[in-house]
Amino acid sequence: MKKESTFAYVLRLTVTLLLITAITAGALAWINSITEDRIAAEKARKTAEALSAVLPGGGEEVDIPAVDVGVPVNRLYKGENGYAVEVAPSGFGGTITMMVGVDLEGNILGVSVVSHTETAGLGAVAGDKTSKGEAFRGQYVGQSGELAVSKDGGVIDSISGATITSRAVTDGVNAALALVANMG
Amino acid sequence: MNLKQQFKEGLLTKNPVLVQLLGMCSTMAITTSLFNGIGMGLSVTIILICSNVLISALRKVIPNQIRIAAYIVIIAGFVTIVDLCLQAFLPDLSESLGVFIPLIVVNCIILGRAEAFASKNGVVASALDGLFQGIGYTVALIIMCVVREFLGSGTFGGGILNGGEGIRILPEGVPAMLMVMPVGGFLTLGCLIAGAQWLVKYLDKKEKAKEAAK
Amino acid sequence: MSAYVQSLLGILISAIISENFILVKFYGICPFMGVSKKTDTALGMGMAVTFVMGIASAACWAVDNLILIPLGLEYMQTVAFILVIAALVQVVEMFLKKFVPALYQALGIYLPLITTNCAVLGVALVNAQNGYDFLQSVVYGVTGGLGFTLAIVLFASVRERTDKSDCPKSFEGFPLALIAAGLLAMAFMGFSGLKIF
Repeated sequence: MKKESTFAYVLRLTVTLLLITAITAGALAWINSITEDRIAAEKARKTAEALSAVLPGGGEEVDIPAVDVGVPVNRLYKGENGYAVEVAPSGFGGTITMMVGVDLEGNILGVSVVSHTETAGLGAVAGDKTSKGEAFRGQYVGQSGELAVSKDGGVIDSISGATITSRAVTDGVNAALALVANMG
Repeated sequence: MNLKQQFKEGLLTKNPVLVQLLGMCSTMAITTSLFNGIGMGLSVTIILICSNVLISALRKVIPNQIRIAAYIVIIAGFVTIVDLCLQAFLPDLSESLGVFIPLIVVNCIILGRAEAFASKNGVVASALDGLFQGIGYTVALIIMCVVREFLGSGTFGGGILNGGEGIRILPEGVPAMLMVMPVGGFLTLGCLIAGAQWLVKYLDKKEKAKEAAK
Repeated sequence: MSAYVQSLLGILISAIISENFILVKFYGICPFMGVSKKTDTALGMGMAVTFVMGIASAACWAVDNLILIPLGLEYMQTVAFILVIAALVQVVEMFLKKFVPALYQALGIYLPLITTNCAVLGVALVNAQNGYDFLQSVVYGVTGGLGFTLAIVLFASVRERTDKSDCPKSFEGFPLALIAAGLLAMAFMGFSGLKIF
């Protein structure tokens, strides 16, 4: 008798927990179906915005050559006067997804941050649309070759208090330059 | 329990951050701009109200042995809903708070209130408790943000006002960068909690003096 | 040395020192403040967290890459990870109690606290976000735990002294501990941007 009641009790526990989990999963699936398109559209909009910022006139997406440049490369676009590369170096708070425009001579046309998770007020400046952010990204325009932040003996001034983020952005830019150099 | 009492408890005498010392990870990590503080505070408040209501409604259905597991699933569900909605409708905020949105799941405030209040009280009282505790948390975050932003960047309202740059109060070069860095989080929260402890004691003394006078 | 080994070393250095889980990234502040009154209990907590973080990284990686991603259910990550971690902590507790009682004696009391330690969920989420492979995830988990241990043990030995010191009444206990932690964080700031490869 006692054994059965224990069994019934355990069954009740399992069923309750299972039900709660199932309902939660169902609710999430429903919310996801509503938000999915918007999230994707938002991402596409940001990518397009970044692309037009670094590669005037935009470009066509082309296949990425299989070269190891040390940083993950998400996409590669070919435009009239150059390439735009979407790279994803890791910063302080996680991955920084950024677009780098490079002209056919291997000079940087522009740098634009698509998404990041850096600290507000510090690393986030790299992606801000503020004067500080513009100034930081502006340093890269026209540069070529292998870049480094001033702390490592290079020409790029780090965002104050955010060496890791500045280094990550520089890594991303270098990877883009290396990739385009490889395209010939 | 009366409303005024609950409000006062949430805001000061039982403030989740300043007195109960819960949820300190997010309190220190994201309070570098006002935009973040308000966004995080509101997200937590919404999740807290929802989870308190649901847990209170289900308090007689959920067997005791598995209650913590059930609470965690419910809370994680609400957190994911808020996370997805932020990504879809407020992408800037979602980006800026990053991993600390999913980490609300393990924010002790929410599980703490579920266990200490919602599992023992009715739906309406639990909803109000969620609201007031949430407000208390938000207020603590906002104070942290304002202090750290002022001392660290010399601005007010970063991320919202003046096209995201915030209104500059101190001239460039004067503010101590340190305060928006991790160090500043510890120092500001330490001083803030000390201030809250002093205030609570002071109010307590005044109350006692009043009673003695009667 | 291959680039892969370098990436592992990079993860190791950043997780322990330059991006210390507690003092720089603010994961796991609750146990950091709660269980740091004595050096030996702090060490116990640190070891328990390291242990669970290593296993949790592996388990969450498996759940993410073998179940969630193939099914297109990435949005369930938070729910799935926290369930995996909660179940894992339970299993580890029962396993230790039964088979390694000596270790259970040492770590047992800390284990239930670990489910709600945001360092553990944090490491699982960051692994997924950064797209680490299995080995990288485990290395990040274990070294993140070691970073946690380093910070909590250092902090506990500071706290043993500050608790006995004279200070304004309002600052007694917690606020003073936070300020001491702030000073410790300042010391760790010196490592920021440290890069060895």
